Amino acid sequence: MTTFDEEMMKRALHEAADDFAISDGAIERILDEARDTAVSDESPRIRAFIQRNGTVRSTVFAVAACVVLLAVAVPLFNSEGPANKKVQFSALPIEKVGTHGDSGVVISGTGSLAGQVSAVGTSSPVTLTAGKTVKSASASSLDSSLRVEEVGTIELSVGGTHFQSTLTQLTDFATTDGGFVASTQSHVGNKSTHSYSTGTIVLQVPEHNFTMLVDQVRHAGVATSVDTSATDVTGQYVDLQARINALQVSRTQYLKIMSRTNSIGGILSVQNQLNSIQSQIEQLQAQLNLLNSETTYATLTVALSEAGHRVVAPPHTGNGVEMAWHDSLHGFAVGVEWLIRIAGPLLFALLLLAVLLLLGRWTWRATERRRGGIS
Amino acid sequence: MSDAIDVDELKTWLEDGYASSVRTAYLILGNRPDAEDAVQESFLRAWKFRDSLATGSSFKPWLYRVVVNTCNSKLRKEIPHRNRRRPDDDLDDVAMIEDPIGRVTLSHDMISALKDLPAHLRVVVVLRYYVDLSEHDIAIVIGRQPGTVKSRLNEARRRLALHPALQSEAPSSITARKEKRS
Repeated sequence: MTTFDEEMMKRALHEAADDFAISDGAIERILDEARDTAVSDESPRIRAFIQRNGTVRSTVFAVAACVVLLAVAVPLFNSEGPANKKVQFSALPIEKVGTHGDSGVVISGTGSLAGQVSAVGTSSPVTLTAGKTVKSASASSLDSSLRVEEVGTIELSVGGTHFQSTLTQLTDFATTDGGFVASTQSHVGNKSTHSYSTGTIVLQVPEHNFTMLVDQVRHAGVATSVDTSATDVTGQYVDLQARINALQVSRTQYLKIMSRTNSIGGILSVQNQLNSIQSQIEQLQAQLNLLNSETTYATLTVALSEAGHRVVAPPHTGNGVEMAWHDSLHGFAVGVEWLIRIAGPLLFALLLLAVLLLLGRWTWRATERRRGGIS
Repeated sequence: MSDAIDVDELKTWLEDGYASSVRTAYLILGNRPDAEDAVQESFLRAWKFRDSLATGSSFKPWLYRVVVNTCNSKLRKEIPHRNRRRPDDDLDDVAMIEDPIGRVTLSHDMISALKDLPAHLRVVVVLRYYVDLSEHDIAIVIGRQPGTVKSRLNEARRRLALHPALQSEAPSSITARKEKRS
């Protein structure tokens, strides 16, 4: 590589610069200028601010750090943890939320203005659906035309000696509340054969008594799981009614046409249309009746089991290795979920940090430039 | 009262550093009026913000930092948008006017080559070979890392060695050497 001789460069630069004659009076001009500008100098406050540069810089960095921390923390705290399940609570809770009994079972519920109600327990082996028109105390403020189909399942654990009496008690609850027992299924255990008593009873009560029934059943034994939900079927109900009305109008029109038709062919053609319409009306009416029935009565399924035996827990057939494998997969999925969850806030925080650093750098250099003309 | 004291301090600064500062600015900017303007502005600015010089910091790099940045500001904002000055103001012409016969050629060609360097390379060359600052001090002056200074010096030396004006000189006055890689 070819380079230039440094000594020669020094000598040449000094020779060139030394030939630059200093102007007479240049220093005096600068001094005069300095005296003039001394009067109109910056205010002490600004200078003090600039002199506190170290503190200002530290403060700026501290504020930036706080902003970044908040940017990361707030979305993370607002998001759910990987092991938590989503639970929504809205303005119209129907079921109670809390811990029931000594079993530590957490009973939670969600409700909405649309009338949907659900409760989630630890397990739900038996699923039962029922319907009713909401007129319960907690939903009394809703429109009377609101149609809600409600589902309820309770797992109840009772002492072995109280199994039969509890069944009877549950039947009494239903009849007392104006309802009835839709079905029962029971198995009486025998200690000599190490079998336990189990049973399932389906209760249907008028919708306004459903909440009371649930409360009564929960206290009839030890509730290990309470699961209730409600589905708003008002739209479906109204839709069925409208379609039926429309078909009925059509049927009336066809009947009028039929009365004015004289030809055999015309009569047969209209008759076919009438048959089709009548069939549709009957189908829709059946659906409406079913829906009406479901929304008139709420249904509660009670799974009874003798204390110490859970009828609902599905038997796990896997061995330890299989369980460990499933746990491992679950853990992996949870980790991926967590990474995805924090990726957004983290990216936002990095972008924010970059912007803050750029701003800080720009401010710092501007300050430096003001102080010493340095860029 | 304090202003009077400060102006006395400025007078001391000027007596100590005006000549070298204005010549440095002259080598960087290439003409006398801009050099004098830049140095005047630099001293006033340095005196205005004299309290910002940290205790224990070296005064010379700090002052040159102000000078260099004022020159850079002029190179960026003023000189490119201005009509050419009179030829007598130019660096090479001034250098030719009063040179003794024995060194006219060297100075002229060196200054000519220096003018062709980009400003950021010209600054480090002037600071290193005229002001005689160390690479560390130059780094402070231009606000870059010492490695950057070294890199720029190497680049400047390479360009100067390849400059036609310097290559046409006799080997006795300009020595270009080739460094072979080991």
